Amino acid sequence: MLAFFQGRNETPRLGTLRQLALFSTLSRLELRVVDGLLHERRFLKGEIIFDEGEEGQALHVVITGRVVICKQGDPVAGRIAEINAGVAFGELALLENAPRALQARAEEDCVVASLSRGDLESLLVTHAVIASKILLQLARQLGRQLRDRSPLTERRPL
Amino acid sequence: MSSAPAARIGTRPYLASGPLVWLATIACTTLLLTLLKQALWLVVPFLLAIILYYALFPTVRRLTLAGVDRETAAGIVAGGFLVATAAAMVPALPWLAAQAVTGEEAVYRYLAGGRLLIERTLQLLESQFGFLKQMDFHAEMSRKLSEFGTTYVKEHLADVLLATAAWLPALLLAPFLAFFFLRDGRRFLKFLGESVPNAYFERTLYMIDRVDGTARAYFQGLLKLTLIDTFCLALGLAAIGVPGAFALGLMAAVLAWVPFVGSVIGCVIVVLVAATDFPTSPWIVYAAVGLFLLVRLLDDFVFMPLTVGRSLHMHPLPTVLLIFVGGTVGGIPGLILVLPLAGVVMVIAGTIGGIVNDPRLRARHAFAKKLRAQRINADLQA
Repeated sequence: MLAFFQGRNETPRLGTLRQLALFSTLSRLELRVVDGLLHERRFLKGEIIFDEGEEGQALHVVITGRVVICKQGDPVAGRIAEINAGVAFGELALLENAPRALQARAEEDCVVASLSRGDLESLLVTHAVIASKILLQLARQLGRQLRDRSPLTERRPL
Repeated sequence: MSSAPAARIGTRPYLASGPLVWLATIACTTLLLTLLKQALWLVVPFLLAIILYYALFPTVRRLTLAGVDRETAAGIVAGGFLVATAAAMVPALPWLAAQAVTGEEAVYRYLAGGRLLIERTLQLLESQFGFLKQMDFHAEMSRKLSEFGTTYVKEHLADVLLATAAWLPALLLAPFLAFFFLRDGRRFLKFLGESVPNAYFERTLYMIDRVDGTARAYFQGLLKLTLIDTFCLALGLAAIGVPGAFALGLMAAVLAWVPFVGSVIGCVIVVLVAATDFPTSPWIVYAAVGLFLLVRLLDDFVFMPLTVGRSLHMHPLPTVLLIFVGGTVGGIPGLILVLPLAGVVMVIAGTIGGIVNDPRLRARHAFAKKLRAQRINADLQA
């Protein structure tokens, strides 16, 4: 009887999602809603996730493995960033409604969770709290990336 | 791994368009309607189930957010709808049973009322226009009407009523199907998304969003339009003094789901009822016709743009063409289905066209397949 009133244990799947920075502030119920919307994809080392100039229809979060963001067709000299497990990428095309600015390739075998533009937009309408928590986490990640790429003297909160 | 930079490679639009996509859309829609005609008993409950799905989906979503899991939420909402419908039907059952017994009789009575109205109108016309009297217009039309009543209607009415009664059990499938759509719809979309190769994944997501958005906008808009039409017609008919204004308004609004023909049939039914119940007051009939024309105009210029609107994003010319195709191939269910079906087929055809036209995407898929083959055969090559 008491178990009814206690929170149910989190499934391993939800535990994995909670490890991702993008979803770390969501409650168990909110996480379950988001889990219903996520698509899981597996990429082999070297496989292209998206191309520069492509219309962006999803933001991705690396669950396991590593992804490299680079200039089109130049993953070595044109490397811009490495995306490790737990971090989101491909969000700018969604936020700006613009084509992908760079190419994304799997640096090693990886599992990626994808949230489509349509689902993110419908979250904004139907589950505004969830959407705002995700977007706040995205804003924090973008802020961190901006600071990391700025000269040392400029690394202070704006 | 490194290769020469190839700027702006993936810039092809997601949805291809053009005469080929249009031809493919019309051909596929016609083919689907032909196939659906073979399972017509399933099409109507399926269509109602889709409408129910979009009507009940917001409640399921609210329950999910409140902590109820998807399966239970779907069960509660679909079950609740079934119970509410049954509760609403119980008081109406004696009336429905009486109507079923006297149904054929009532149809003949209303047809006779309609015939009387036509004859009176013809007499009036003949008295106003001399050339009609010279043509013996009234007598000629009366003879044709009488022939129609004694031959066609008597021969086919019983069959039509029996066929309608035979459809009723199939309609019980609608809430059952709606429950499974509510419970497994999202899972099916995820399954569909995960079954395509990585290279085509984002395009498939886009296609799923567009298909879902198109169907949702169309059917939710249709429901809103039905509510507005019912309200306007019921209010107008009550003001004129026609009995059963709400029931007639609802019936006419539902009939309007059939493009063009439905509104005319709804208007004819109301005119027959008014002509039979008020045989000495033709102004009521003319007022009912005027009301239908007014609601039709409001539908076309105000309500439809606000509800169903341009949810299908189709040009009027192929739309009219498709309505004719739908009516010819699938009859009345074909007329109802053809536009949403064509909207969905157009998105799918456009997406496939976009993939076929994009050599980069196909090259990416081939590259991924090669990588997988190398991985699988790695130990064999050694």
